[in-house]
Amino acid sequence: MAEYILLLISAILVNNFVLTRFLGICPFLGVSKKLSTALGMCGAVIFVMTSGSAVTWAVQHKILNPLGLGYLQTIAFILVIAAFVQLVDIIMKKFLPALHGALGIYLPLITTNCAVLGVAVLNIQLEYSLLKAVFFGFAASLGFSLALVIFTGLREKIDRANPPRAFQGVAIGLITAGLLSLAFMGFANMVK
Amino acid sequence: MDWMPVLITSGTIGGVGLACGSALALAAKFLSVPEDPKIAELEGILPGVNCGGCGFAGCADYAKAIASGAASVDLCAPGGPDVLKKLAAATGQEATATEKQVAMVLCQGNEHRAVHKHIYNGVADCNAAAMVAGGDMLCTYGCLGYGSCAFVCPVGAIAIKENLATIHPELCIGCKACIKACPRGIIRMVPESRSVHVLCSSKDKGPVAKKACQVACIGCKMCVKLGGEAFEMDGFLAKRNYAIPATSDTAIEKCPGKCIVKIGASEATTQTAPADGAPSGSHA
Amino acid sequence: MRTTQALFKLRGSIHPEYFKGLARDKDIVAMPLPKQLCVSMAQHLGAPAKPIVSKGDHVLKGQRIGEAAGFISAHVHAPTSGTVTAVEDGPTVTGTLALRVVIEPDGQDTPANALPPIKDWTTAGRDTILARIADAGIAGMGGAGFPTRVKLSPPPDKPIDTLIINGAECEPYLTADHRVMLERAEQIWQGCEIMRSLLGVKTVRIAIENNKPEAIKAMQTAIAKADGDVAICILKTEYPQGAEKQQIFATTGREVPSGGLPMDVGCVVENVGTTYAVWDAVVNGNPLIERVTTVTGHPVAEPRNVLARIGTSYADLLAFCGGLTCDAVKIVSGGPMMGIAQSNLETTTTKTTSGLLFLEASRVPEYTSMPCISCGRCVVACPMDLLPAELSNRIEAGDYDAAESLNILDCIECGCCAFICPAHRPLVQHFKMGKSRVILKRRQAQTKS
Repeated sequence: MAEYILLLISAILVNNFVLTRFLGICPFLGVSKKLSTALGMCGAVIFVMTSGSAVTWAVQHKILNPLGLGYLQTIAFILVIAAFVQLVDIIMKKFLPALHGALGIYLPLITTNCAVLGVAVLNIQLEYSLLKAVFFGFAASLGFSLALVIFTGLREKIDRANPPRAFQGVAIGLITAGLLSLAFMGFANMVK
Repeated sequence: MDWMPVLITSGTIGGVGLACGSALALAAKFLSVPEDPKIAELEGILPGVNCGGCGFAGCADYAKAIASGAASVDLCAPGGPDVLKKLAAATGQEATATEKQVAMVLCQGNEHRAVHKHIYNGVADCNAAAMVAGGDMLCTYGCLGYGSCAFVCPVGAIAIKENLATIHPELCIGCKACIKACPRGIIRMVPESRSVHVLCSSKDKGPVAKKACQVACIGCKMCVKLGGEAFEMDGFLAKRNYAIPATSDTAIEKCPGKCIVKIGASEATTQTAPADGAPSGSHA
Repeated sequence: MRTTQALFKLRGSIHPEYFKGLARDKDIVAMPLPKQLCVSMAQHLGAPAKPIVSKGDHVLKGQRIGEAAGFISAHVHAPTSGTVTAVEDGPTVTGTLALRVVIEPDGQDTPANALPPIKDWTTAGRDTILARIADAGIAGMGGAGFPTRVKLSPPPDKPIDTLIINGAECEPYLTADHRVMLERAEQIWQGCEIMRSLLGVKTVRIAIENNKPEAIKAMQTAIAKADGDVAICILKTEYPQGAEKQQIFATTGREVPSGGLPMDVGCVVENVGTTYAVWDAVVNGNPLIERVTTVTGHPVAEPRNVLARIGTSYADLLAFCGGLTCDAVKIVSGGPMMGIAQSNLETTTTKTTSGLLFLEASRVPEYTSMPCISCGRCVVACPMDLLPAELSNRIEAGDYDAAESLNILDCIECGCCAFICPAHRPLVQHFKMGKSRVILKRRQAQTKS
């Protein structure tokens, strides 16, 4: 149990995917202009990363490992994740139209997101069991969501604060992201 | 050379790919939600500015409305005649060719010409200023000059000079956002090919209007006498009838309020406004 | 002694300088008829009344000249006898245009006697009294001008158990309500009894700030023989004690929910002036054609509490008070906190004109608005528990949706935040504009669906 709690804290604060591992920067900068869209993105990422962990774990352990093809990991994962997200998109549209309306436009954006691929690869590298891999995927996506929500809040505030012309938009956004990352360094080495 | 690993590798990846592909194909076939292909086509035609001038939430929303028959094809102002033609062709609707319309501020009362009735030092926004004793100008119709229209203009076509808003006709995309933002309602859409305008909106009687502004329409009807049907009266205010071209300059010269102006080249003598390709007036 | 102390302290409040001494000890004086009276049709909240007289008509004092247009509206009456010289658009106190009837008094002041006095109102029946209040055109005289008939007939699913008479008069400078309580305490109590029987409530609280000891004393004498749970509630002197929702909180401890009305918590709040008008309409059959207005400010030669006919121009009011001794740079209709600045003296009094204030240059400093420094003083000062700094930032950025989700519509425009702001930000003006935008947006959404 303690192991899982540590894993959760580690994935959210200490080894935050965005701010410490620098994965998933694209949606982090792309959809951080408004809180409502950021929350939609968080929902989609939590869903895809959690279920994606399970699918990629199965691909690695049931297909690649028995055939001795561990080195094909990257190609296989990209292929599987992309197809899986598309499939989820179609199924969701059919059976859960309300949820699709809320998350639908964000799903295609993260088909080949590096945070999703990153969590899949880390699961294998760290030799997690299926349960642990799914849990890690969930915890990592929570970390992503935390970083995105904090960053969106900051950006909303900065937009209203009328920064100098040269800094407006992405420029001040990147500086803010850097400072936020520095702040998260304070958690370093709290949990391995 | 042993070909086995290569075959296994490509077979595995190919197999996984095939499995994924078939799953997607099956899903797309059996689980697909029917969607009108027209919407995507129409969305492709629309300019994608998302200005909201058509009254819908954006280009995608407008495309949906056209496809379902809830909206006509002639609402897209930034697209102009080109988009209209394409939309009409795609939907099979009749294209009623309209000329590009641009927004025009019907007022010339800048800080030197219009008389102030009190000092206003509140929020620099026309809507806010209009809520304090009806605005700080003596003229209750004229431009307040705090730039609410410039704030909402998506293309930056509006400049505020000496407390007066002026719209650059070549930059204007005709989205009407400024018209909605103006508390005075003095911004009007005019055909781009027309260059003679009555730049006053004061419906006050002559003496009252003259007291409030140096360049006010005093309702003398001089332009109607000299310019014929190109001008018409609305109470004490002269207005331009844009369907008739104003060819003679005498009305401009003789206007005692100096509120009729020509911006750019003279108007063509055609009776109805030309569909497209008309010489556009440059901003003076 | 029938007094209670306020149960609760306001969440946020400010302590401005009051300057009530200018007119506090001046008796109410009736002003002679001016040369012309311009009676606006938009004196109350809701739809403006429809004029039912035309140019050239001869009208009598108290004759109905404007018909209520809709449920939330009020009749308008001729303030004196005379000839209608025009029915035209004229400026209202906010600067917008509204229909008004211009009357040239004939000096006779001949009454129309359209409403017979109901001497024994206890047996007259509820409907008769309510109809009388509507016929007399009474609207809340505290400032908002909500039609009193509507307020006094709450829907059956909203039980009312407390009637609060608002005599707080928390606005600096104004003393009209104070004088009304001093000079007409007995009538106010009678009016209060009438409303109490209409609502069927036992509990009455007369809320007065503790800077008006004479008024408290006068009202205590008036209610000495009252039965039931009647008491004067003595409020601490702080602004905005007189705001409806704040007063309910201070006297009963109940909090009106966001977007709700006092009747949602079983309360009806009436101003002392309105209470007097109710008594006058029922017992004497007089429609609401005059009110007490405080004409005050340091530049005014003789600050006074003037009983003026509705429709008197601000210029005539000022002339009656001796004009100005020095130049006034700001003219405010109402009190300095919530009043509306005027650009000339052509505007005329309405049922809600509680004061006319003149300020000299030294009291109207020119401020330059600076960016918010996030000090949070406005958040502490806000009696409605809103976040004024956040709200104004969002309105400045044009983000009205965000302002709506921060409950901008709950803002009562009391001005505490702007009063306290060290950066001199025009917060209330932002909110007024933001509220009008949000309301407009909601209305458009309604018409669309």
